[in-house]
Amino acid sequence: MRKRVPALGLALCLLLSGCSRGLTIFSNYRRLESIELVRTVTVDTAEPGVSVAIYGTAGEKQEARMYEKEGTSIGIAMNELTLMPLGREAILSHTENMLIGSDLAEDRLDEVLDYVERFSEMRLDTGLLVVLDSTARELVSGLAGEETPASDVIAGLSENIDRVGKGYIFSCREIVSSLAQNGVALVQCVRGVKEEKLFEKRGEMNIEPAGFAVMRPDTVVGYLTEEETLGSMLLLGRYRSRNLDVPVENAVLTMSVDLVTPEVKPVFAHDGSLEKVDIRLKLSSNLVSMEGLVDIRREDVREKVEEGLSGIVESAVSAAVRRGQEMGVDFLDLRGILSRREPIKMEDIPEKWEDVFPALPVEIRVESVFSRTYDIIDPPEISGREEGGPWKKLIGSLTDN
Amino acid sequence: MLREKKPPAPPDIAGDAPVTAAAVEAVFDGCYDFESRELHIGGDVGRKVRLCFIDGLVSGSDVAEQVIKPLTDPERFAGVTDVKAVIAMLLGGSVYVYTAKSRTKLGEMAGDLLNGFCALIFDAERTAVTFEVKSQQRRSVEAPKEEKVVKGAKDAFVETMKTNTTLVRRKLRNAHLKIREFNLGERADTAATLVYIEGFTNEGIVAEASRRLSKIKVEGALTSAVIEENIVDNPRSPFPQVISTERSDKFCMNILEGRVGILVDGLPLGFLAPGTFSQFMKVPEDHSSHFLVASTLTLLRYFSVALTLLAPAFYVAVAMYHQEMIPTRLMQSMIEAKQQVPFPTAVEVLMMLLAFEILQEAGIRMPSPIGETVSIIGALIVGQSAVEASVVSPVVVVVIALAGIAGYTMPNQDMGAALRLCRFLLVAAAIALGMFGIALGCAALLYHLASLESFGVPYMTPFAGGEGRHFSRALLRHSMTDKRDRDPELKTGDGGEAKL
Amino acid sequence: MEKTDRITDRQLTVLIFVSLLSPMIRILPTSAVTLGGRAAWVSPLAVFPVSALLTAGLRALLKNAPEGVGLQDAAMLGLGPVGGRIFGVVSALWLTFYGGFLARSAAERLLSTVYPNGNPPIFVVVTLLAALVTASGLTKTLSRTAEVLMPILLAVIAAVLLSAAPDVTGENLLPVTYRNWEDILCGAVPIFDVTAAFAYFLFLRGHVARTPGKRPNRFPWLTLLLLVAFAVTFFTLGTLGVNLAITMENAFFMVIRNIKVFGVIERAEAVVVAIWIVTDFIFLSAILMIVSEIWRTVTGVRRRAFFTAPSATLSGMSAFLIARDAFEFMKWSDFLVPAINLGITAVIIPAVLAVGKIRKKY
Repeated sequence: MRKRVPALGLALCLLLSGCSRGLTIFSNYRRLESIELVRTVTVDTAEPGVSVAIYGTAGEKQEARMYEKEGTSIGIAMNELTLMPLGREAILSHTENMLIGSDLAEDRLDEVLDYVERFSEMRLDTGLLVVLDSTARELVSGLAGEETPASDVIAGLSENIDRVGKGYIFSCREIVSSLAQNGVALVQCVRGVKEEKLFEKRGEMNIEPAGFAVMRPDTVVGYLTEEETLGSMLLLGRYRSRNLDVPVENAVLTMSVDLVTPEVKPVFAHDGSLEKVDIRLKLSSNLVSMEGLVDIRREDVREKVEEGLSGIVESAVSAAVRRGQEMGVDFLDLRGILSRREPIKMEDIPEKWEDVFPALPVEIRVESVFSRTYDIIDPPEISGREEGGPWKKLIGSLTDN
Repeated sequence: MLREKKPPAPPDIAGDAPVTAAAVEAVFDGCYDFESRELHIGGDVGRKVRLCFIDGLVSGSDVAEQVIKPLTDPERFAGVTDVKAVIAMLLGGSVYVYTAKSRTKLGEMAGDLLNGFCALIFDAERTAVTFEVKSQQRRSVEAPKEEKVVKGAKDAFVETMKTNTTLVRRKLRNAHLKIREFNLGERADTAATLVYIEGFTNEGIVAEASRRLSKIKVEGALTSAVIEENIVDNPRSPFPQVISTERSDKFCMNILEGRVGILVDGLPLGFLAPGTFSQFMKVPEDHSSHFLVASTLTLLRYFSVALTLLAPAFYVAVAMYHQEMIPTRLMQSMIEAKQQVPFPTAVEVLMMLLAFEILQEAGIRMPSPIGETVSIIGALIVGQSAVEASVVSPVVVVVIALAGIAGYTMPNQDMGAALRLCRFLLVAAAIALGMFGIALGCAALLYHLASLESFGVPYMTPFAGGEGRHFSRALLRHSMTDKRDRDPELKTGDGGEAKL
Repeated sequence: MEKTDRITDRQLTVLIFVSLLSPMIRILPTSAVTLGGRAAWVSPLAVFPVSALLTAGLRALLKNAPEGVGLQDAAMLGLGPVGGRIFGVVSALWLTFYGGFLARSAAERLLSTVYPNGNPPIFVVVTLLAALVTASGLTKTLSRTAEVLMPILLAVIAAVLLSAAPDVTGENLLPVTYRNWEDILCGAVPIFDVTAAFAYFLFLRGHVARTPGKRPNRFPWLTLLLLVAFAVTFFTLGTLGVNLAITMENAFFMVIRNIKVFGVIERAEAVVVAIWIVTDFIFLSAILMIVSEIWRTVTGVRRRAFFTAPSATLSGMSAFLIARDAFEFMKWSDFLVPAINLGITAVIIPAVLAVGKIRKKY
C-alpha cells in the first residue's frame, strides 16, 4: 500500500500533463507541424529600438520566408514575431548565423550577445556577423533566391571563408569569451554586392567578407583592412590557407600559403621590464598557378618567391599589430599569449600592460618555404626538356650504328 | 435448459481407502477409457483376479503379452493356491514387466493407473499389483521450433518427462546428477522433476527450489505459467525470472553453470533457475560461434534492448519538446511530413505502437501461411497506405518498425514481451514530461529490476548486487579455453568464482 | 532493521558516488571557478588529501563500532540517549530541508536549461514522489540501482567531454603557476564541501554487511569523483573560459549546448540534463532513506518506511518555501547550504564521533 499511493500520485501528475495544451501543466510542448524553423536572424536599429527579422522555412520543400518586427528590445521584437501568420511558432534552436547591422553594432553588441546567452533555445555557437553598407535585413533579403535560401548562401560563406583566408566567423561563445577575458573581440564583417545572376532562381545579391570589426561590448573600436585581417588571423590561429600573388622576374606566381608554426615570445630587459616581442612565423607554400614564365627550379627564383611571400605576410602581421597599438586595444591578445609563455615574468613586469602595449617594439620574422609545384611539369622552354629527352637520343644513335 | 444440479461427491481416492475392484471401478465410474476385466490365474476358473487399466495410457500388446499371457499360463501357477503366494510370484518376476509395485492404498493405485500402469486387484487381500506398461504413443524428439538452432544440438524437449530426463542424462553423464520427483497439482497430479548436480549446485538454491515446488498449490500444472508464477520471487513483475527453454543443450549448459532445472510432464519445456537479466540476453549459439562474434552479437542485443525500449519514447520527447536536438535538414523534412498528418505526435506514435502489437498478435495466432500473409499485409499495405494517406508520418513508421524489429532480437520472448510493455509506459512518460519523463521512467524501471531477486540471486547481477568485477562476463563471451566461466553469484560448490 | 536489507561496502561506495555526482555538477564548475578562477581545474586534485583525511578519519572513528551500528546509533552511544537524540533530530531536520533544496535545485536546473517554459512545482513533485517510492523500499535496491546507473553516467560524462574536447583551448586554462596556490585552494572549498557529504551516508552504515577478512575499499569513490570533477572543470573551463563559466549557472550543460556529433546528434543537453535528474533522484532517495533511518533510531519504531512519507512531504514543503524565485534560491545555493553542509559534515559529525570514541563507547 505504501508504494501504491505515491505511484498513484505520479500517475496523476502524468495524466495532468501531456500533449493537450488545455490540460497540460507543463508548457514546453510544441506541435511539430506548426514550427517555422529559423536559420538566420538579423538585428538592425529601428525607430523604437531594434528591428528583428527571422528567416526560415516551414518544411523542406517550402520556400524560405522572412518575418520582421520592431520592438524596443530584441526580446520584445521576438515576442511580436511569435504571432506569425498561420499560427506558426518560430523556433530559434537551429539558428546558424546572426547578422547585425553596423549601426546596431556601434552600441548594442552586448544586448545581442546577452540575448543569445540567456535564451536557452539558441546555440552559443551561432555565428555572429556585422553587415556593412546596408542593413542586415536588406542583405538577407537580397541573398534570398527562389531556389537558394539566404541561409544556404551564408552557410556556404561560413564554411569556406577561412579556407580562402579572407576571414573567420566567430561564434557568439568565442566573442563573449573574448570580451569577458580581453575586453575586446573581433567580429567578422560582411557586405552585400550586386552581381549578375548566374542563374535565374538565385538572389540578386551575393555576400562577401569585409574584414574584422574590433568591438567592445558597447562600441566599435574600428574596422580592420583586408591586410590587417589576414595578419590577425595568422596570429590568432584562425588562418587555414590563402592564395597570394608573388611577382618574380617576368612572372606572377600564385602561391597557396599554409601556416606551419606561429611563435610569439617576450624578450625581457635586465630589470624585468618587457623589452620587445618576438614574433616568428613559419610558412609553407605551394605553387598554384603561374602567369608568365620563370624557371622555378632555379634556387634564386625560389628564394625570391620565398622572400616575396615572407614580405607580404610580415607586412600583414605588422599592420595588424600596429593597428592594435594605434587603437590601444590588444585585440590580438598578445598579453594572453605572452603570459602563457612566461607566466611568472609577465606577472612581474613593473609597468601596466595598457601602458606598455602601445609602444611595445614588436619584431616580426617570417620564414617561408617553397615546398612543391604539385603534379605539373614545367613547359619545355622552362624545363629545357625535349620530346624523348636524352634516352631517345641514346637509343637513336645505337640503332643508327 | 440445464438445471443446476449438485454433483455427487467424488470418491475419496487420495485417502488410505483399501484397494478393491469395486472401489476402483467406483473411482473411475463414467470413464470411457477405463477398462476392467476378470482373469483366471493359471487358467483356473476358481482363482479370479481383476485386471484394470486405462486404455490409451497403456500399450495393449504389452498388457496381453507381458501380463495376461504369463498370468493365465496353467503351468506357471500350477499348484499355487494361496493368493499371497501368487502376489509374491507376480512381484518376483513371473510376469515379464520391469516395474511391478504392490499397492494397498486406493490413492496410490489410482495414481499408478493414471501413470500408464495396469493393475491386478486381489479383492481377498485388498491388494493390487501394478505393472508399468506405458503406451509408446508419444511425440518423437525433434528439432526445436521456437528457439532456432543453426550450429548446435537439435534435440528439443517433448511432452514426455522420461524422454526429457533421458535427453538430459545423455548430455550430463554424471553420477551426481540428481533428478528429484515432485507431484504438482491437486487434481491433475502432474509429475515434475528437479534437476541439479549434487555437491556442485548451490545447496541453498536446491533447497529453495524444492521448497517452492513442494508448496505449489494448484489444480493442475498444465501450462508453463503455472510453474513460473508459483516459483518466482516476484510473480507480479512482467520480467521473466526463470529461464524456460525447449532446447536440451541450453538446459544442460545452465545446469553445468550451477543452476537448477525443472522438467514437467506434459510440457515440452525445461525451466531453469535462478534467471538473471544477463542470462536472458544469451543464446546457446553464443557458445557455438567464435567468441568475438558471440561477444559482438551479445552487445548488439543489449543495444537492441535500449532501442526497443527507448526509440519511440525518445522520438516522442524530441518531436514534442526537444526539437533543438534534431539536425536542421532532418527537422525540415520532419516538419514537411508532419504537416500532412492530422493527428498529434503522441496519438500517431501510440496508434502505430498499438497497430504493431495487433499485427503481431494476429500473425502469431494465425496458422503459419496466413500469419505470414497478415504480416505482409500489415507491413506493406497498412504501413505504406497509412503514410500515403497521411495518417502517420514516415518517420513514425520507421521509428516504430525499428523498435519492433529490435525487440525481435531478444532471445527470450517473455523478456521481449516485458520490454514491449515497458515501451508503452515510457512513451506515456515521454508524452507527459519529455526527456525528464523518460529519465524518471528509466530510473523507475531500473529500480524495479534492481528490486528483483531470483532464488536469492539479484536479478541484475553482475551489473548490480554482485562484486561488480564480472561486468564483462555478461556483456561478452570469453574464450572457451576457460572452462570455469560461470556466474559467480551462483556460488557453486567448487568455489564458483569465474576465472576471468 | 530488516536483516535481509544488507549491502556490501562496495555498494555503499557506489551509492555515495552516484549521489554526489548530483551536487558535484551543480557546484562545478561555476562555484569552483568563481573562487579559483583560471586555476580551478587544478583544485579537484588539491582536494584529494583533505577529503581522504576526512573519509579515513570518520571511518577510523567508527572502526570498532559493532556491525549494524550506524552513525545515529553511534551518536546515541557516544552522547547518551538525550544528546544522541538531539543530534539525530537536528540532522534529520537539516537533511529534510536539504532534500527539498535538492529537489528544487534539480527543478531550477531543468528550467534554466531545457524547459524554459516549465513550472518548478511539477518537477519538484514528480521527483519527490519518485524518490518517495524508492526511499520506502530497501537500501539494497537503491544501492543496486546506483550500481546499474554508475557506468551509464560515467559513459555519458566521457562522451560529453570527448565531444567537447575540440573546443578546449589553452588560452582558457593557462597560465597556472605555483603562485596560484591560493586560487587553487579557494576553488577546492566547494569541491571539498561536496565530497564531505560522504559523512551523511554513515547513517546507513548499519546496513553494511562485513565480510570477514576483507578490508573495505577506502577511496575509490573519492578518486573517481574527483577525477570526474577534474574532467568537468577542465573541459568546461577550457571551452568557455573563466568569465563565461562564472556567468553561467549551469556551465557544464552550457558546454553540451554546443556539441554536434557528425551532424547526427546536436545539442544533447536535454538528454544529459534529464540523465542528471537521475542522480538527483538517487541522492534525494538516499537522503529520505537516511532521514527515515534517523527517525527510526531516535524513536525506536521498527519500520523505517513509516517516516518516509512525512519526511518527503516536509522536503516538498521546504522545496517550495525555500525561495520565491531563482534569485532567492541562488543565495541558498551559493553560500548558505554549502556552509551549513560543511559545518555538519566536517565539524559536527566528526566531533560527535570523537566524543563517543573518547568515552570509549565503541
